Amino acid sequence: MLTFITRRILLTIPVLFLISVIVFSLLHLIPGDPARVILGQDATPAALQALRVQLGLTRPLWLQYVLWIGGVFHGNLGNSLQTGLPVAMLIGQALPVTVELAIGTIIVSGLIAIPLGIYAAVHKGRLADLITVFGASIGLSIPPFWLGIMLLLLFTVHFHLFPSSGFVPFFQNPIQNLQSMFLPVVATAVREAAVLLRMMRASLVEVLGADFIRTARAKGIVWRVVVVRHAVRNALVPVLTQSGLQVAGLLGGLVITETIFSLPGFGSLLVNSIFSRDYTIIQGSALVAALLVVGVNLVTDLCYGLIDPRIRMGKGA
Amino acid sequence: MAVRKQLIATTASVLLALAGTAFAASPSLAMSHPVAHRSAAPSGTIDIGLSADPPKLDPSLSSALVDRQVMINLYDTLFQLSATGMLEPDLATGYTVSKDGMTYTLQLRKGVMFQDGTPFNAAAVKFNLERDQLKISPRHSSLSAISGIDVTGPYTIVLHLSKPFSPLLNVLAGRAGMMVSPTAVKKEGAGFLNDPVGTGPYEFVKRVVGSYIDLKANPHYWVKGEPHFENVEYKIFTDPNVELLNLQSGAVQFIDTVPPQQVSSMEMTSGYTVINKPSFGYQGIYLNVKAAPFTNLFLREAINNAVNRSLLVGAIFRGTAVPAYSPFGPASPAYVKSEDTPPAVNPTLIRKLLKEGGKPKGFSFTMQTATSPLDVQIAEIIQSMLKPYGIQMNIDQLDFGTMLNNSADGNFTAMALGWSGRLDPDQDIYSFFYSGAPLNSSQYSNPKVDALLNQARETSDMAVRKAIYAKAMAIINHDSPYVFLYHPNNVLAYSNSIKGFVYIPDGLIRVATLS
Repeated sequence: MLTFITRRILLTIPVLFLISVIVFSLLHLIPGDPARVILGQDATPAALQALRVQLGLTRPLWLQYVLWIGGVFHGNLGNSLQTGLPVAMLIGQALPVTVELAIGTIIVSGLIAIPLGIYAAVHKGRLADLITVFGASIGLSIPPFWLGIMLLLLFTVHFHLFPSSGFVPFFQNPIQNLQSMFLPVVATAVREAAVLLRMMRASLVEVLGADFIRTARAKGIVWRVVVVRHAVRNALVPVLTQSGLQVAGLLGGLVITETIFSLPGFGSLLVNSIFSRDYTIIQGSALVAALLVVGVNLVTDLCYGLIDPRIRMGKGA
Repeated sequence: MAVRKQLIATTASVLLALAGTAFAASPSLAMSHPVAHRSAAPSGTIDIGLSADPPKLDPSLSSALVDRQVMINLYDTLFQLSATGMLEPDLATGYTVSKDGMTYTLQLRKGVMFQDGTPFNAAAVKFNLERDQLKISPRHSSLSAISGIDVTGPYTIVLHLSKPFSPLLNVLAGRAGMMVSPTAVKKEGAGFLNDPVGTGPYEFVKRVVGSYIDLKANPHYWVKGEPHFENVEYKIFTDPNVELLNLQSGAVQFIDTVPPQQVSSMEMTSGYTVINKPSFGYQGIYLNVKAAPFTNLFLREAINNAVNRSLLVGAIFRGTAVPAYSPFGPASPAYVKSEDTPPAVNPTLIRKLLKEGGKPKGFSFTMQTATSPLDVQIAEIIQSMLKPYGIQMNIDQLDFGTMLNNSADGNFTAMALGWSGRLDPDQDIYSFFYSGAPLNSSQYSNPKVDALLNQARETSDMAVRKAIYAKAMAIINHDSPYVFLYHPNNVLAYSNSIKGFVYIPDGLIRVATLS
């Protein structure tokens, strides 16, 4: 297990290096000039040049990269071109918001999808199954931005039950934090739950038709024990893979939810930086995002072993 | 069955626990309402919604319009605009201009201190103006006429110009006239924009990028009895519908924009006041006179004549914009109604122009535009207006950063890009149509226009300037390097619990008078 983890962590180093080179090169290929975005429409060529020199953008590209990556090795992600604030601090402020939102979404969607998926699979073809599958289809078709606006209208404008904006860090005030995260989590979890539910149901239906289930039943094991202990554990593996992919996707893909609920998250930071050509923030964020995705994949792989002991992570894995 | 029940029970209890904490009776962050008092000591908090996150709170470096919403409360300006659009003293109490228009002497307000205790005086003004004259400051070009600054007394400063420049006082009522603390700039260096210090009614406290900006009352503010609110919290909403929802939920009491389709319903809703007034800005389309097909004057004229502005404004803006035919809208001191009214669309004239331009059956071109739903809608309406004449307009959606680059490099045929407007009419026309000026993306050049624009700069009488601009606009509209479309309004809304709002034509929310 330890060898596996060590190897996976060591493997991330070339991955991160490659990503940093690709992001850096792509950034300089897209049209747009940070100096122009900073100085605005009416900037004179002399002013633009003066700012480019000040920001270090006139140096050769390779030198810019070397200087930046050298800083990264010393734990310095550089400063924002727009505001001059340290990139590490900006990411440090934005990331917890999105991580909390992503984790909350996965927990809530899992709590909805797994029991309902099991219930639908066990009652396959019956009315309960049809209703659940129909509900999941609706959940899949509702765009999160529409649901977000509706939730805001209902729970903040008509019934003043939740705040309509603002984020309070969990360790500053856990109750206010949960209040501010409840609606955003619901708005994203509905769709994610629908995806997971369909996955859970399909996977369990398949497992329930397998030979070993018939054998287990033939041996006289109680049905619910067969379902929970034998079938569900097997059926959870693809669901877990899906959840892992969902978390990874959510880390960068929550921009719309963040916009609607005015949460200063990682997705918004990244998108705004791209629009303002804030190279240092984009580079730092891409690196951190890559690190997170690699981390989530690692955790997912480790979880397989917990659910299904046949998947060994030991030597030779 | 027991396992199933257990699963359902666990799910339900976790969901309930989550909901329970959310419903708990603690005071929520956004449900609080302001406590307004008209007492000597400021009290309570006002929450203001902003449609974008202000990038730079340093007037010397700011280039975004939204920066001004916050800066107007952190800084005072040398001159300020009155509710009727006239110039009034602010940190400068008076001025004299030499007969040749080359020397301005400003008398400064005594007894004013920056929020860090630095005294405000002529040396501070000199420091500020010289800082704004640095090349990396977006203020550089508007102060380029100043060739020397002399401090002739502790509260007297003399500005020497290299040539007469009548827009100067209006410029000093904008960001170039916002005074920052020299001590703080020297201490903070590049970090000043994240810890700004001025003489205004509010001091900077804290900001979280993309989320909020907190200010608190300046206890040493020189205007007695102001401000009334102790704290100001700006909250950032990048979606205007979400911003409006937050006004309705009570999370904010004032918002800096209202989506056009919501304005009439908000005006009908009791409990809110909607301000819907002309702004200094305009929107339009650059036609690149150095790129085919718009090297052809007749084809440019055809486009300029084929766009029905009234229809466009009626379809999209629902009373939150007015048709434009010049840079000077109803808020501008250079506004002349007849000059700013687009001619009625005349299909015969357009067909004649196309024929004269050698394209009787029409032609095709690509217009670059921004990606917002509003920009795309406008482009599509214009596209349909040109179609009957056989003019095929393709739409190319680009992000703002790319558009700025293309506009500067002349890398476009047509581009929808407007201007947020400034106090002085010169700043809304000169740089756009003067040969080789930074905003002249059409690469238009006409010596007659250049001469008129220079003449207006040297004339201090606004009535005379108006007449000169009218002459210039007649030539510009004939040459059609830019298709003026509309002047957007400043649309603000606030809860009726807020009292004391004074609307100034720049559309900024000055918190000092609010209670």
